[in-house]
Order: sequence, then C-alpha cells, then structure tokens
Amino acid sequence: MTQRIDPILLEVLKNGFEAIADEMALILMRTAHSSIVRDAMDYSTALCNDRGEIIAQGVTTPMHLGSFHDAMLFLIDHFAGRIRPGDVFVGNDPYLIKGQHLPDIYVIEPIFDADARLCAWATTIAHHADVGGLVPGSNSIGATEIHQEGLRLPFLKLVENGVENDTLMQVVAANVRVPDQVLGDLRAQMAAARAGRMGFEALLARHGSDKLAAYGDALQDQAEKMSRAAIAEIPDGTYHFIDHIDGLGANPQPIPLELTLTVAETEITADWTGTSAQVRGGINAPLSFAKSNVYAALRSIMPADVPNCHGYTRPITVTAPEGTLVNCTYPAPCGARGITGYRIIDCVFGALAEALPDRVTADTTGGSSLPSFGGQHGGAPFVFSECVMGVWGATSRHDGQSGVPHMGSNQANVPIEMIEADYPLRIESYGFVPDTGGPGEYRGGVSIRRSWRALADDTYFGIRSDKADFPPHGLFGGGSGQPAQTQILSDGAARPVPMLATLPETLSAGSLVDHRMAGGGGYGDPLARDPARVAEDLADGLITPDHARTAYGVVVADPTLGTIDLAATETLRASLRA
Amino acid sequence: MTGYRIAADIGGTFTDLACLAPDGRLSTRKVPSTPEDYATAIVEATAELAATEGAGGLRFDEVLHASTVATNAILESKGARTALITTRGFRDVLELRRIRVPRLYEPLYEKPAPLVPRRRRYELTERIDARGNVLVPLDADELETLIDTIAGAEVDAVAVCFLHAHVNPAHEAQVAERLRARLPGAFISVSSEVLPEIREYERTSTTVANAYIGPVVARYLRSLSDRLRAAGQDGPLKMMQSSGGVQQIETIIAKPATVVESGPAAGVVGAARMGALAGYGDIITFDMGGTTAKAAMIEGGRISSTSEYEVGGGISLSSQLVKGGGYALKLPVIDVSEVGAGGGSIVRIDAAGALRVGPDSAGSVPGPLCYGKGGTEPTVTDANVVLGYLNPTSLAGGTVPVDAEAARRAFAEDIAPHLGADVHAAAYGVHQLANVTMMRAVKAVSTYRGRDPRDFTLFCFGGNGGVHGAMIARELEMSRVVVPPAAGVYSAVGLLWADAEASRSRAFLAPLDGASLTRAEVALAAMEDEVRAELDDPKASYHWSADLRYAGQAFELAVDLPRGTALAEGLGAIRAAFESEHLRTYGHLLDDKRVQIVTLRVRGAIAAPVPGSMTLAARSPAAPGQTRPVWFGDAHGLCDTPVIGRGELTDSPRQGPAIVEEYEGTTVVPPEATVRRDQFDNIVIDFAQEGRT
Repeated sequence: MTQRIDPILLEVLKNGFEAIADEMALILMRTAHSSIVRDAMDYSTALCNDRGEIIAQGVTTPMHLGSFHDAMLFLIDHFAGRIRPGDVFVGNDPYLIKGQHLPDIYVIEPIFDADARLCAWATTIAHHADVGGLVPGSNSIGATEIHQEGLRLPFLKLVENGVENDTLMQVVAANVRVPDQVLGDLRAQMAAARAGRMGFEALLARHGSDKLAAYGDALQDQAEKMSRAAIAEIPDGTYHFIDHIDGLGANPQPIPLELTLTVAETEITADWTGTSAQVRGGINAPLSFAKSNVYAALRSIMPADVPNCHGYTRPITVTAPEGTLVNCTYPAPCGARGITGYRIIDCVFGALAEALPDRVTADTTGGSSLPSFGGQHGGAPFVFSECVMGVWGATSRHDGQSGVPHMGSNQANVPIEMIEADYPLRIESYGFVPDTGGPGEYRGGVSIRRSWRALADDTYFGIRSDKADFPPHGLFGGGSGQPAQTQILSDGAARPVPMLATLPETLSAGSLVDHRMAGGGGYGDPLARDPARVAEDLADGLITPDHARTAYGVVVADPTLGTIDLAATETLRASLRA
Repeated sequence: MTGYRIAADIGGTFTDLACLAPDGRLSTRKVPSTPEDYATAIVEATAELAATEGAGGLRFDEVLHASTVATNAILESKGARTALITTRGFRDVLELRRIRVPRLYEPLYEKPAPLVPRRRRYELTERIDARGNVLVPLDADELETLIDTIAGAEVDAVAVCFLHAHVNPAHEAQVAERLRARLPGAFISVSSEVLPEIREYERTSTTVANAYIGPVVARYLRSLSDRLRAAGQDGPLKMMQSSGGVQQIETIIAKPATVVESGPAAGVVGAARMGALAGYGDIITFDMGGTTAKAAMIEGGRISSTSEYEVGGGISLSSQLVKGGGYALKLPVIDVSEVGAGGGSIVRIDAAGALRVGPDSAGSVPGPLCYGKGGTEPTVTDANVVLGYLNPTSLAGGTVPVDAEAARRAFAEDIAPHLGADVHAAAYGVHQLANVTMMRAVKAVSTYRGRDPRDFTLFCFGGNGGVHGAMIARELEMSRVVVPPAAGVYSAVGLLWADAEASRSRAFLAPLDGASLTRAEVALAAMEDEVRAELDDPKASYHWSADLRYAGQAFELAVDLPRGTALAEGLGAIRAAFESEHLRTYGHLLDDKRVQIVTLRVRGAIAAPVPGSMTLAARSPAAPGQTRPVWFGDAHGLCDTPVIGRGELTDSPRQGPAIVEEYEGTTVVPPEATVRRDQFDNIVIDFAQEGRT
C-alpha cells in the first residue's frame, strides 16, 4: 500500500520517535546500578522498525548503534513465528547472534499493534560491569579465545508471555562477579524497553500501524537522501590511510589497520583489505562493529539535521576480509574490541582529512582508556572500571579539546568522591599535563592524567589504553601529541604497564597506578601560531617556556609574567623556517 | 502598611509589572527594559503605578523581583574575576567537567570556557578521605603564601572546593576564615556552605558559579534597593529564587546562585497558586515566549523541582540526559524543561526539501517578518498571522503594528511551493511543527517522569501561551486548558503569590533504617534551626524531605519525611513512599533491595499575604460583533470566527471557534472545544472526550 507522505506529519513523527528513544535512555540511566552504566553511561537505546532497522536513537553511544541492525536481522530470522507480545529477548554473543562483545548485553522488546502484528522493536544495549571470564570487568586483553571471556548468551527469551525466566536470571547471576549490579542493570534495560514499547503503542493507537510503517520508511528515505547529498559534496576519489595499534602485552608488535575509502558520486565504500589478521588478544572486532564505527565517523561529517536512522547508512558499504582484526571469526576474543572501534573512526577521519580539511580534527587520543580494578572489599568481591577521557586533535579553526569523549562514544567520568566512597581506591590526581598537545597553528588537546592508589592488598589491575608507540598524528604541518604512558609506583620503584596489558597486575596496598593519555595532534604549522595564543597557553600552564621556544619558536620575555619577546620570536622563527 | 504590593519581572526585551491592591485588584504594565541600567524601568514604572493606584503616591509594603541578571552574567561572560582553590592534584576538575557533550557526531564541537581560567585555579596541600578523616593536614604557611598570590591576581571573588568537604568542612572553613580576614573586599564562596553534597564536579561548578555572579548580583540588588528607596519605596525588596520562593536581598547577596532561574520560577508559582485556588488539580504549565517555550509540572499542589541543572546550556530538551553544554548548578530549581521554539522561531526549507521550524530565532530584533522591523524570514508568529490566530493589523492593544500581507506573501512564495501545499496548509504545518517541538518540553516533565499528560490541566501563559496551548493540549489528549488573567505578564503575577522561603541541604549517606533516621532527625532539627534563624518569622512553616535511592543506583528520588514525630517510627511509611515514587517514575520496583538516604533537606516557608481572589483591571476590550476568517486545518477549512474579549465570556461554555484578544495576549479556541470564564477570570477551554481523534 502506498501512502501519500505529508511532510509535516513526517516531521511530527520523527520528533515523536526521537522523544521515545531519549525517554528510554533517561530511564535506563536513572535506574541502572553499575557505575559504567549509571555514571559513565556506556549504553544505547533505539527504536527499530519491524525489519530491525533503527528509526530513532537516544543521545547515547554512536559506536553501538550501527551494529544493531545485524543482530536484529538475526533475531527476527531466528525467532520467526515465535515472537509474541509479552516477550523480552536477551543476548550478547558476537558469533552466535552477531553481537558486539560479551559485556554488551542486548535487551529487546517487540512491539505489536492492536491486531497483534509485529510492527517495531524497543532495543537497548548496555555495557555490564562484569560477565565473568578471566578478569574482573571481563575486558581481558590476554584472552586467546572467546570461551575465556565469560558468559555467552545466544538470543533467549528473558521474559516470555509476561513471565520472567527465573532460570536464566539464576544462570546469569551465577556466572558474573557482581550479580546485584548485572541483574540491576538488566532490569533497568527492561524498564527502558518497556517505556519504549509503551511510547510506541501510544503512537500506534493514534496513527495505526500502516501509517506508522509508511512514515517510518519515508524517514529512512529522507535520511538516505540527505546522506547522499552530503557524500556528493566529498570530491570523488580514492583515499587511503594506514595506522597502527601499538600491539599486545609487554613486547608489542604493531597491528596495522589499512583503509581504502572510495567516494563515487553519492556512495562511499570503506574497504579494510590490508588490515592485520585477527590477533590472539581481546581486541578483535566483529564486522557489525566495524561497520557501526564507519557509519558513526561518516555521520560526523554530515550536517547535524540528518535523521539518525538506518537510512543514512544505505549509501555506505563496508567490506573487510574474514578473519581480520575488523571482521573476526570464531573463536577470536573480542572483550576489549572498543579500542579497534575507536581506531576505525580515527582512520576514517585520517583518510578524509585531505578531502575535507575543515570537517575533521587532527588525530585523537584513541578513545577512552579503560582501567579495571577488582578484589575483595569488606568481605565481598568488587569490580570497578571506568572510562578515562579524552583528548581531540586540533581543527582548522580551534585548538584540540581536552576532557571530551571520543566521537564514537558519549560517556561520562565517574565522580572521584563516589569512587572513594564505594571502593578501596584513592584518586591522587586528575588533570591536564603540560607540553603534551601536538604543536600546530592550532594546538592539539593536552593530555589527561589520572592516578589511582590501591588501598587493599591483592587488588587486581588491568588496563586497555592506546597510542604510546604511535601517538596521535598532526595534520597539515601540525605535530604529534605526546605518547600515552602508564606506570605502577610501588615501594619507591616505577614499573611500566603495557598499553594493552595481557597479564593482570596485582597491586599491594599503597601502590599507585599513574596513567597519562596521549595528547591530541596539532593542525597547521606551529610557527604560524599566533604568539598571543602561545602566551595564553603559558599563562594557563598548558605549555612551559622551553616548549614555547622549541615547539613554537616563541621567545618568552619574562617567565613569571608570561610575556613574549616579539622581536626575538620573529628572529627565531625566521631561523627555524630557514 | 498600605496593603499594596508590587512585583517586577525583568526580561531582555520587556519589564513586566503587576501591582496588587488589598481588595484583590490587579494592575499590570509591560514596559521596555532598560539594559543600560535595568533598575530604571522598574523605578519609573513603579512610580507610575504608585501614582495611578494611590492618589499622590503610594508606598508599597514590599517590592518583589525576578531578574535574569545572574543568568546574563554567565551567558555573556560578564561575571566577576574569580579565583578557585582546590585540593592538590585537582585544579582541572572544573574544566574536565563530566566529559559528556550535548551533541553527537560533531567533531568541531568546542566546550564552554570554564568560568575560572586555569591560570586562576590554585592547588593547596591538604586531603580528607570519604569518611572525613584528615589524610594530609592543611599547610597553614602555604595557605598564607597562596593568599598573597591571589591578592596579586586582583580578583573580586574566590571559590573554594576541596574533595570530601561535604563530609568534613574543616579545611574549607579554615581557608574561608583566612580569605575573609585578608581579602575583605572579595566575595568568598565555599563549597561546604554553598552545596554540601557529594560529587566534586557539580559541587565545584556550583561554588564557582556562585562566586562568579556574587559581586554582580550584589551590585545590582544594592543599586536597585537604593534607587527604590530614593523614590520613596523603602519597603523590603525581595527576590525570587530558582526554587520558587522569595527571599530578602541580603540573603540572596550571600548566596546568589539561588536566583539563576528566577523569572521562569515565578510564572510556575503563579500557576500553582491559581490552580489550587480555582481547583484545577494537577497542572502542567506551558510558558511560550518569543524564543523559547517552557514546561513544568505541578502535582498535588506541589511544584516538581530538581537539582540536576545547568545554566547557559542552551536548550535543555531532556535536561537529565543531554548534559555538558552549560555550567552545572546543583541547587534546588523548579524543574523547567525548555525548548528553542517560540513566536520568533524561523521557518525554512532544508536541503532535502523538508520543512524546518527553528532552532534559529528572529528574536525581538529584527523579530517576525510581519512586524516590519527588518525581519526577512518567516517565523511562527508570521504563520499565526496567516492563519488568522493573531490580529492582522496590530498586537498588544494596538502598540505593535502587523503587516499581514508580508507574512502571507512569504508563505505563498517561499514555503508553500516546496511543500506542494497552499498558503494556509503551509502555515498550519508550521504551527503544528512548532507545537511538536514544544510538546517535547511538556513530555519531558510528564511522560519522561512516568506521568500521563492526560491526567493534567495545561496552564498557559507567556506572550504566546494562549495561541498554541489549546492545539498542544489537543495533540496530547489533555482535556482542559486554562489561560489566566494577565497571562502575558504572568511571571510578575506569580511573584505576588510566592512564599518567602529558605532551605538547607546536607549530604547524609546512610542505609534507610531506624538508627539512621534517629541520627537524621538530629541533623534535620539543626538544619531547621538555621532556616528558622534565616526566616526569622513565627508564622513560618517547615518541611523535611530526603533524597533516597536503592543502594547501587546513582540517582535519587525525593520523599517527604514526617516532622514532629519520632522519625524512626515512620520507617515503614517512608520506605513505602519511596517505592511508590520509584514505581511511578520508572515502572518497576526492586525486591529485597536496600534503600539508602543520600541527602537531607529542610525547607521553611512563609505564605504570601494575598487576598482570596484577584481581578484584572480590563483594558482595551475588543469591539463587539467582530469576526475574521481563521484556518483550523483541512477538517474545518476557513472558519468565520468571532473575535471577543475575556469579559464577553461567561461561566456557561460557548462552542468554539473563537479568538480572545487582550492587551497581554491572544487565546485561540479551536472549533471542537468549548470556552468559558471562571470566577477567577481564567479562560477555561475544554475538549469533549468524544472530540478526541
């Protein structure tokens, strides 16, 4: 049935869908129990149509959202004929259901119209505090196969005909280190999905399912049209980019990612041929996750008003050979695959810099660092993970931002006072590190440092971080940011911790973990930086007088006043240019 | 005492005044604001009202005031030169914020600049742990040296925020004492005094905002007070706080962060009082002006408030979710959700040929195209003129001329052809789209909190509230709309009704059990003593509440506590009240889950001396028998619609359509609704249940 689409009602319904997805996100955040969901907000919500295509997403985590589609296609196909009102589905496994990694658990509720016809889905995904496996937090980089990473869930009915599956809940509870948090967060996801279903049912009662379906499709078409218009503005051509993840463990071997981006009129293809084979460590990304990150990166260079629904991804094709880091196959482990997702986005920006110099930043710090701590506290096990963020490269217009999430996520930090009230940890510093932003006409964001002191013996520590050997690159003459670094200070000695630690560290009480993210890349020639901006950075302690001289060719007249000797600066810059 | 009271609400464009006589007569004025010195408009209009109301000059018993002075200082970066002292290792907490940004997919995003730049953020050696134990004592010599440095930085204000100061304020108190002794001219803002609650970024940000606006607010209020006195108005000057209560200006000057949302709060207070008086039950307010629309919820007579708030964050569509665009200010504020849609919102066709309304606004300058003041793009107000909702020749009692033909032409030439619609359908689409955007504000305070808007009355005010309110109510299937008298200056009216109010909060992290409640009772009684001293009035009443959560959650729900009986005896009822609120807000309960107390709160209030009714002095009634053609959508087409004054309505319902035109604003009554006037002069629009679509 074709239906005439009233452009006004289309906009009305688009807003209606988005309001529902946002309401789901709000309910999930406010009822969640783990700090990674409630404080760091590592979760996503979306409404999908009956075919599992996103029609609206909450203001949540971009890198999650583009991968819903593959999981939904699997779910719809696998349960065909067995999807009924009162059902709620749960699942997490990358290979069994085209999921993402084991900590990311989907909770999904189908939505039916008055005639019991399936017409939409309320979908949620949340990063759980723990799903068992080798290490607390279930982000083991040292895992060599997925069976070491924890509880694998195919899609199952968590609720069937309105009755919660107590057996399944007990299995989950028995297989995770912090069952209160995991079950609490699953219930928060169920509450969000229920709110999404009820919101959509109100629209169904008003407009009927045929009309909603037609308008949902029209919204996809509108997004596709705008997406194509945005791609058409990128000069046709082939853009190539190679980058490296530092590597696994204490003796890291660089892991290459190779991207060939082909823009042809209104379509774009991202081909990852040349990328490393999948690795014996938990950073492998399923193809659905790789696609999701390419979508997120390309969405970021489109105008703000493109609807964030499946339609905008239609002109985008992502290909990668099987068995690679970005299209891993069973039984490759993927617990810490987030790092690869962030790098996929950074590679897309790297490839597009030449074509869109005013739309991208110089390289970023590579996504959140993810430290995990675990052990015993007050007679009970504890697990604490957080996301340390984040630093961006500079742009053609302004300095790089510091204290921002990576483009692929939109997470928050955890209040220090909350951590210290709940866990045997003390935060000793949290702030900027001077002289770390990549020099440029616009400076890269300065690095962020955070340090944790263990207050209990036998505290487990692991970290997923990045960009020590391959620090964030600059653009158009801008310099690299300073590399990342982690060390443990204990008994007066310092020992380095690998960026991607494959072996858990055990901390004694009083040990200090000191982590520094990489600084962002600079943009443009540092010798062209306005000396007044250099003076501002000096006054704010973001650079030292030495750095002003060596990186920017700026001579400080009086270090206490932060004044610049302009004449000496001219001379020095002229000699440096020569 | 003359029994006369006056209220003034200052906005960027207009200053609204309302004067209440002892017999309940209400007089209003809308005069241009005087941005060079905002006090001028107030003083002059007050003098004029004093002369008009009381022959030969009248002394008002009190002058009530709401103003955007504090907000503007932040939005325009015109606050005090401020320093911040933090625990060593943490001077960047303010600038790191909570990391999250308000928009996805925006690589060119820039964070708001911190209110205190890094060069004026100083660290001091000291450390207290989460239980309040001193781990590193404060170094007194280092403190003196630091104060020397700060004195050299020539600041007007100093904020102090140490980790865990909400548990043990000793170090902050020591620093504050030395600062006050050595920098007597500076405004000192200390986190354990301003916001003794957990979460270091929110506490730091609130303390800094308080410092940043402190000197500005003090200067402004003292100047206003002096000028009113010079004009013979020497009654108490009181200012509206974001929480909805007024307070003496000396108290405000000590803690100015409490007045940041002063204007929007006043209108909501007015709605709550009128709703209670006239018996309209639970209310959602809808306050629509030129650039934004705001909504708030009043349930069981109580205004919904929050402490999750950011000032200067632009649009707070779903304020709990989209954070990071402004400056966190974690003090009690009426929970007003705001969207960037108003009469001035600009209408455009986007790249994909779709219709867009806002978020850009023509503001008051140049304003809508039909005002003929240089506007070149059509706006929502222009659409309303095309539809016949607004007078085609002039508004505001003839003071604002309207060029309806210019508005019609813009829609006919620039908008309608892209939509394949005629001019009326295009304008109606714009009207509907603006409604959809504004409905999100209404939903943010209702459905987002587990409330069904159909259980509420929509209470409309602001310059455009009556134009859009009925249609929004219809979309949300709300059956009743109320447009109060003086709706266009309703914030000023609300000020007259506001309680004098003082409050205290205190972090109190403990399990919800009998022993905790017994300790809490001691703390609450001490807090009440502080509030009592501040209000200093035997007529004051007191109210206790606590923020509770399930152990493990990070967000709390407010629950009333019984006062006057042993608190521990109420344990069962308190837990039940929490569970009922959790069920209502989130749709589920957690079995066997421990409940925690997080924060204790005490509020003291003195009711405003208002007469039992208010009657508005009628101005410029519409000429009788007028009609004009008005478009109410395809279903109705162009309807020849009566244009009437409020006074022509009676208590017997009259079938729509109708347009009610007044000096303060216009109310649109759709064909399927009825309209009447109640005994308090409110316009009441009802939709019959079967009229719902």
